[in-house]
Amino acid sequence: MPPSGRWRPRDSGPVVRPYAVTGGRTEPADGEVLDLIAVVVATGRAVTQDDHPPLSPEHRRILGLCQHQITVADLAADTTLPVGVVRVLLADLITQGLITVVRHRPPPAQRTHNDVLQEILNGLRAL
Amino acid sequence: MGSARSESSGRARPPAPAFTAYKILIAGGFGSGKTTLVGAISEVRPLRTEEALTTASVGLDDVTGVAGKTTTTVALDFGRITIGSEVVLYLFGLPGQERFSFLWNELAYGALGAVILADVRRLDECFPSVNYFESRGLPFVVAINCFDSAPRYDPEEVRLALDLDPDVPAVLCDARDVESVKQVLITLVETVAARRSATTGSRR
Repeated sequence: MPPSGRWRPRDSGPVVRPYAVTGGRTEPADGEVLDLIAVVVATGRAVTQDDHPPLSPEHRRILGLCQHQITVADLAADTTLPVGVVRVLLADLITQGLITVVRHRPPPAQRTHNDVLQEILNGLRAL
Repeated sequence: MGSARSESSGRARPPAPAFTAYKILIAGGFGSGKTTLVGAISEVRPLRTEEALTTASVGLDDVTGVAGKTTTTVALDFGRITIGSEVVLYLFGLPGQERFSFLWNELAYGALGAVILADVRRLDECFPSVNYFESRGLPFVVAINCFDSAPRYDPEEVRLALDLDPDVPAVLCDARDVESVKQVLITLVETVAARRSATTGSRR
Protein backbone atom coordinates (compact mmCIF):
# COMPACT_ATOMS: atom_id res chain seq x y z
CA MET A 1 0.00 0.00 0.00
CA PRO A 2 1.24 3.52 -0.67
CA PRO A 3 1.62 5.67 2.44
CA SER A 4 -1.74 7.23 1.64
CA GLY A 5 -3.44 3.91 2.27
CA ARG A 6 -5.47 4.61 -0.84
CA TRP A 7 -4.81 3.10 -4.26
CA ARG A 8 -4.87 5.23 -7.33
CA PRO A 9 -5.20 3.60 -10.76
CA ARG A 10 -1.57 4.26 -11.57
CA ASP A 11 -0.46 2.35 -8.46
CA SER A 12 -1.85 -0.87 -9.77
CA GLY A 13 1.08 -1.16 -12.18
CA PRO A 14 1.39 -2.07 -15.81
CA VAL A 15 -0.12 -5.15 -17.42
CA VAL A 16 3.20 -6.00 -19.04
CA ARG A 17 6.26 -6.23 -16.79
CA PRO A 18 8.10 -2.97 -17.48
CA TYR A 19 11.45 -4.48 -18.41
CA ALA A 20 9.88 -6.82 -20.96
CA VAL A 21 10.21 -3.97 -23.49
CA THR A 22 13.97 -3.86 -22.92
CA GLY A 23 14.38 -7.60 -23.26
CA GLY A 24 15.01 -7.81 -19.54
CA ARG A 25 17.91 -5.35 -19.59
CA THR A 26 17.95 -2.96 -16.67
CA GLU A 27 21.23 -1.13 -17.38
CA PRO A 28 21.76 1.32 -20.25
CA ALA A 29 23.97 -0.27 -22.94
CA ASP A 30 26.45 2.62 -22.84
CA GLY A 31 26.62 2.50 -19.03
CA GLU A 32 25.52 6.11 -18.66
CA VAL A 33 22.60 6.80 -16.35
CA LEU A 34 21.02 9.94 -17.75
CA ASP A 35 19.71 12.53 -15.33
CA LEU A 36 15.93 12.93 -15.16
CA ILE A 37 16.26 16.37 -16.70
CA ALA A 38 18.99 15.57 -19.22
CA VAL A 39 17.88 16.98 -22.59
CA VAL A 40 17.99 14.76 -25.69
CA VAL A 41 17.08 15.23 -29.36
CA ALA A 42 16.96 13.13 -32.52
CA THR A 43 20.04 13.50 -34.69
CA GLY A 44 17.94 13.40 -37.85
CA ARG A 45 19.62 10.24 -39.14
CA ALA A 46 17.08 8.09 -40.93
CA VAL A 47 16.22 4.67 -39.53
CA THR A 48 17.43 1.92 -41.85
CA GLN A 49 16.97 -1.85 -42.12
CA ASP A 50 20.55 -2.29 -40.90
CA ASP A 51 19.86 -0.77 -37.48
CA HIS A 52 20.78 -3.23 -34.81
CA PRO A 53 19.11 -4.12 -32.59
CA PRO A 54 15.98 -3.56 -34.70
CA LEU A 55 13.84 -0.77 -33.30
CA SER A 56 10.88 -1.83 -31.15
CA PRO A 57 7.63 0.15 -31.14
CA GLU A 58 8.80 1.73 -27.86
CA HIS A 59 12.10 2.78 -29.45
CA ARG A 60 10.13 4.37 -32.28
CA ARG A 61 7.79 6.16 -29.89
CA ILE A 62 10.74 7.65 -28.04
CA LEU A 63 12.45 8.59 -31.30
CA GLY A 64 9.25 10.28 -32.46
CA LEU A 65 9.03 12.32 -29.26
CA CYS A 66 12.68 13.35 -29.65
CA GLN A 67 12.10 15.28 -32.89
CA HIS A 68 12.22 18.28 -30.58
CA GLN A 69 14.46 18.66 -27.54
CA ILE A 70 12.94 16.84 -24.61
CA THR A 71 13.94 15.72 -21.11
CA VAL A 72 14.14 12.14 -19.84
CA ALA A 73 11.36 12.93 -17.34
CA ASP A 74 9.05 14.19 -20.10
CA LEU A 75 9.79 11.11 -22.20
CA ALA A 76 8.87 8.84 -19.29
CA ALA A 77 5.67 10.76 -18.61
CA ASP A 78 4.68 10.92 -22.30
CA THR A 79 5.25 7.20 -22.86
CA THR A 80 4.09 6.17 -19.34
CA LEU A 81 7.16 3.93 -19.25
CA PRO A 82 9.22 3.80 -16.04
CA VAL A 83 12.28 6.06 -16.06
CA GLY A 84 14.65 3.07 -15.91
CA VAL A 85 13.12 1.59 -19.07
CA VAL A 86 13.33 4.91 -20.89
CA ARG A 87 17.03 5.14 -19.97
CA VAL A 88 17.76 1.69 -21.44
CA LEU A 89 15.87 2.43 -24.67
CA LEU A 90 17.47 5.87 -24.99
CA ALA A 91 20.94 4.35 -24.62
CA ASP A 92 20.15 2.01 -27.54
CA LEU A 93 19.11 4.95 -29.69
CA ILE A 94 22.15 7.00 -28.65
CA THR A 95 24.49 4.09 -29.44
CA GLN A 96 22.90 3.82 -32.88
CA GLY A 97 23.40 7.52 -33.53
CA LEU A 98 19.68 8.24 -33.76
CA ILE A 99 19.56 10.42 -30.64
CA THR A 100 22.10 12.71 -29.05
CA VAL A 101 22.33 14.24 -25.57
CA VAL A 102 22.12 18.02 -25.73
CA ARG A 103 22.53 18.67 -21.99
CA HIS A 104 23.57 16.05 -19.49
CA ARG A 105 22.54 17.98 -16.39
CA PRO A 106 22.14 21.58 -15.31
CA PRO A 107 25.02 23.34 -13.59
CA PRO A 108 24.85 23.01 -9.78
CA ALA A 109 23.17 25.84 -7.89
CA GLN A 110 26.42 27.45 -6.78
CA ARG A 111 27.61 27.67 -10.39
CA THR A 112 24.34 28.82 -11.92
CA HIS A 113 24.92 32.28 -13.38
CA ASN A 114 23.20 35.23 -11.78
CA ASP A 115 21.78 36.11 -15.21
CA VAL A 116 20.02 32.75 -15.32
CA LEU A 117 18.67 33.20 -11.79
CA GLN A 118 17.49 36.68 -12.77
CA GLU A 119 15.84 35.27 -15.90
CA ILE A 120 14.06 32.65 -13.77
CA LEU A 121 12.91 35.34 -11.33
CA ASN A 122 11.60 37.53 -14.15
CA GLY A 123 9.90 34.55 -15.73
CA LEU A 124 8.20 33.55 -12.47
CA ARG A 125 7.02 37.10 -11.81
CA ALA A 126 5.56 37.27 -15.32
CA LEU A 127 3.56 34.03 -14.97
CA MET B 1 3.74 16.45 -29.88
CA GLY B 2 1.60 15.65 -32.91
CA SER B 3 3.78 17.80 -35.13
CA ALA B 4 6.71 15.45 -34.66
CA ARG B 5 5.31 12.97 -37.14
CA SER B 6 5.03 15.46 -39.97
CA GLU B 7 8.79 15.82 -40.27
CA SER B 8 10.65 13.47 -42.53
CA SER B 9 13.31 11.82 -40.45
CA GLY B 10 16.13 12.14 -42.96
CA ARG B 11 16.03 15.89 -43.44
CA ALA B 12 18.44 18.08 -41.51
CA ARG B 13 16.61 20.47 -39.21
CA PRO B 14 17.87 23.92 -38.30
CA PRO B 15 19.57 23.60 -34.90
CA ALA B 16 17.31 24.84 -32.11
CA PRO B 17 18.97 26.60 -29.19
CA ALA B 18 19.72 24.08 -26.47
CA PHE B 19 17.47 24.48 -23.46
CA THR B 20 18.49 23.85 -19.90
CA ALA B 21 16.14 22.29 -17.38
CA TYR B 22 16.43 23.22 -13.71
CA LYS B 23 15.12 21.08 -10.89
CA ILE B 24 13.26 22.38 -7.87
CA LEU B 25 12.28 19.80 -5.26
CA ILE B 26 9.04 19.93 -3.31
CA ALA B 27 9.33 18.09 0.00
CA GLY B 28 7.07 17.74 3.01
CA GLY B 29 5.16 15.16 4.99
CA PHE B 30 2.26 13.17 3.63
CA GLY B 31 -0.76 15.38 3.04
CA SER B 32 1.23 18.60 3.31
CA GLY B 33 0.02 19.68 -0.14
CA LYS B 34 2.95 18.82 -2.47
CA THR B 35 0.79 17.67 -5.37
CA THR B 36 -1.56 20.63 -4.84
CA LEU B 37 1.37 23.05 -4.97
CA VAL B 38 2.85 21.57 -8.15
CA GLY B 39 -0.63 21.51 -9.72
CA ALA B 40 -1.31 25.15 -8.83
CA ILE B 41 1.51 26.43 -11.03
CA SER B 42 2.00 23.74 -13.67
CA GLU B 43 0.39 20.75 -15.28
CA VAL B 44 1.14 17.80 -12.99
CA ARG B 45 2.11 14.52 -14.53
CA PRO B 46 2.97 11.25 -12.86
CA LEU B 47 6.39 9.75 -13.37
CA ARG B 48 7.11 6.10 -12.70
CA THR B 49 10.52 5.20 -11.43
CA GLU B 50 12.08 2.41 -9.45
CA GLU B 51 13.61 2.41 -6.04
CA ALA B 52 15.74 -0.24 -4.40
CA LEU B 53 13.90 -1.89 -1.54
CA THR B 54 15.53 -1.00 1.73
CA THR B 55 15.18 -2.53 5.16
CA ALA B 56 12.92 0.41 5.96
CA SER B 57 10.35 -0.92 3.53
CA VAL B 58 10.38 -4.49 4.82
CA GLY B 59 6.90 -5.18 6.07
CA LEU B 60 5.51 -2.28 4.06
CA ASP B 61 6.08 -3.65 0.60
CA ASP B 62 4.64 -7.08 0.12
CA VAL B 63 7.30 -9.14 -1.62
CA THR B 64 5.83 -12.53 -0.76
CA GLY B 65 6.32 -14.86 -3.68
CA VAL B 66 8.72 -12.57 -5.49
CA ALA B 67 11.93 -13.58 -3.79
CA GLY B 68 14.81 -11.68 -5.33
CA LYS B 69 12.72 -8.62 -6.08
CA THR B 70 14.91 -5.75 -5.01
CA THR B 71 13.17 -2.77 -6.51
CA THR B 72 9.75 -1.27 -6.14
CA THR B 73 7.94 1.12 -8.45
CA VAL B 74 7.45 4.64 -7.15
CA ALA B 75 5.15 7.20 -8.70
CA LEU B 76 6.12 10.79 -8.19
CA ASP B 77 4.56 13.99 -9.43
CA PHE B 78 6.32 16.48 -11.56
CA GLY B 79 5.39 19.66 -13.33
CA ARG B 80 7.16 21.97 -15.75
CA ILE B 81 7.19 25.74 -15.96
CA THR B 82 8.51 27.22 -19.19
CA ILE B 83 10.48 30.35 -18.37
CA GLY B 84 11.75 31.08 -21.87
CA SER B 85 12.96 29.28 -24.95
CA GLU B 86 16.15 28.25 -23.17
CA VAL B 87 15.13 27.80 -19.54
CA VAL B 88 12.54 25.41 -18.14
CA LEU B 89 11.86 24.74 -14.45
CA TYR B 90 10.90 21.26 -13.32
CA LEU B 91 9.16 20.75 -10.01
CA PHE B 92 9.46 17.28 -8.48
CA GLY B 93 7.34 16.17 -5.54
CA LEU B 94 9.48 13.98 -3.28
CA PRO B 95 8.11 10.79 -1.77
CA GLY B 96 8.83 9.94 1.89
CA GLN B 97 12.55 10.10 2.56
CA GLU B 98 12.81 7.20 5.03
CA ARG B 99 11.86 4.79 2.28
CA PHE B 100 13.12 6.44 -0.88
CA SER B 101 16.54 7.78 0.00
CA PHE B 102 18.09 6.65 -3.30
CA LEU B 103 15.52 8.59 -5.27
CA TRP B 104 16.10 11.65 -3.09
CA ASN B 105 19.81 11.57 -3.84
CA GLU B 106 19.15 11.28 -7.56
CA LEU B 107 16.64 14.12 -7.56
CA ALA B 108 18.73 16.35 -5.32
CA TYR B 109 21.74 15.97 -7.60
CA GLY B 110 22.07 19.20 -9.54
CA ALA B 111 18.87 20.66 -8.07
CA LEU B 112 18.57 24.43 -7.86
CA GLY B 113 16.85 24.31 -4.48
CA ALA B 114 13.94 22.92 -2.52
CA VAL B 115 10.65 23.94 -0.96
CA ILE B 116 9.63 22.19 2.26
CA LEU B 117 5.88 22.37 2.70
CA ALA B 118 5.02 22.47 6.37
CA ASP B 119 1.77 21.66 8.11
CA VAL B 120 1.89 23.35 11.53
CA ARG B 121 -0.11 20.50 13.03
CA ARG B 122 2.66 18.05 12.08
CA LEU B 123 5.83 20.11 12.04
CA ASP B 124 7.95 17.12 13.10
CA GLU B 125 7.42 15.69 9.60
CA CYS B 126 9.64 18.48 8.26
CA PHE B 127 12.70 17.50 10.28
CA PRO B 128 13.98 14.80 7.90
CA SER B 129 13.77 17.22 4.94
CA VAL B 130 15.41 20.08 6.85
CA ASN B 131 18.25 17.81 7.96
CA TYR B 132 18.67 16.37 4.48
CA PHE B 133 18.87 19.70 2.62
CA GLU B 134 21.10 21.23 5.31
CA SER B 135 23.51 18.30 5.08
CA ARG B 136 23.63 18.57 1.28
CA GLY B 137 24.05 22.33 1.34
CA LEU B 138 21.02 22.70 -0.93
CA PRO B 139 19.24 26.06 -0.59
CA PHE B 140 15.66 25.70 0.64
CA VAL B 141 12.68 27.62 1.96
CA VAL B 142 10.01 26.45 4.38
CA ALA B 143 6.52 27.23 3.11
CA ILE B 144 3.86 26.95 5.80
CA ASN B 145 0.74 25.73 4.07
CA CYS B 146 -2.22 27.59 5.52
CA PHE B 147 -4.84 24.88 5.79
CA ASP B 148 -8.27 26.28 6.61
CA SER B 149 -8.54 24.02 9.65
CA ALA B 150 -5.03 24.62 10.99
CA PRO B 151 -4.14 27.21 13.62
CA ARG B 152 -2.19 30.23 12.38
CA TYR B 153 1.36 30.64 13.55
CA ASP B 154 3.82 33.42 13.06
CA PRO B 155 6.47 32.17 10.59
CA GLU B 156 9.08 33.21 13.15
CA GLU B 157 7.65 30.66 15.60
CA VAL B 158 7.92 27.98 12.94
CA ARG B 159 11.47 29.01 12.19
CA LEU B 160 12.36 28.64 15.89
CA ALA B 161 10.57 25.31 16.18
CA LEU B 162 12.48 23.95 13.18
CA ASP B 163 15.74 25.57 14.32
CA LEU B 164 16.33 27.04 10.86
CA ASP B 165 19.50 28.89 9.93
CA PRO B 166 19.08 32.69 9.65
CA ASP B 167 19.35 32.59 5.85
CA VAL B 168 16.51 30.06 5.44
CA PRO B 169 13.20 31.87 4.83
CA ALA B 170 9.98 30.64 6.43
CA VAL B 171 6.91 31.99 4.66
CA LEU B 172 3.17 31.46 4.77
CA CYS B 173 1.56 30.06 1.63
CA ASP B 174 -1.62 28.65 0.18
CA ALA B 175 -0.60 25.69 -1.97
CA ARG B 176 -3.84 26.01 -3.99
CA ASP B 177 -3.16 29.57 -5.04
CA VAL B 178 -0.97 30.24 -8.05
CA GLU B 179 0.11 33.71 -6.83
CA SER B 180 1.07 32.33 -3.45
CA VAL B 181 3.03 29.44 -4.98
CA LYS B 182 4.75 31.88 -7.36
CA GLN B 183 5.86 33.94 -4.38
CA VAL B 184 7.27 30.85 -2.66
CA LEU B 185 9.30 29.94 -5.76
CA ILE B 186 10.49 33.55 -6.14
CA THR B 187 11.61 33.51 -2.49
CA LEU B 188 13.50 30.29 -3.15
CA VAL B 189 15.30 31.60 -6.25
CA GLU B 190 16.15 34.82 -4.37
CA THR B 191 17.60 32.66 -1.60
CA VAL B 192 19.68 30.73 -4.15
CA ALA B 193 20.96 34.02 -5.60
CA ALA B 194 21.69 35.48 -2.15
CA ARG B 195 23.59 32.42 -1.04
CA ARG B 196 25.50 32.38 -4.29
CA SER B 197 26.64 36.00 -3.97
CA ALA B 198 27.45 35.42 -0.28
CA THR B 199 29.80 32.53 -1.11
CA THR B 200 31.46 34.27 -4.04
CA GLY B 201 31.86 37.39 -1.88
CA SER B 202 33.57 35.53 0.96
CA ARG B 203 36.15 34.06 -1.40
CA ARG B 204 37.45 37.47 -2.36
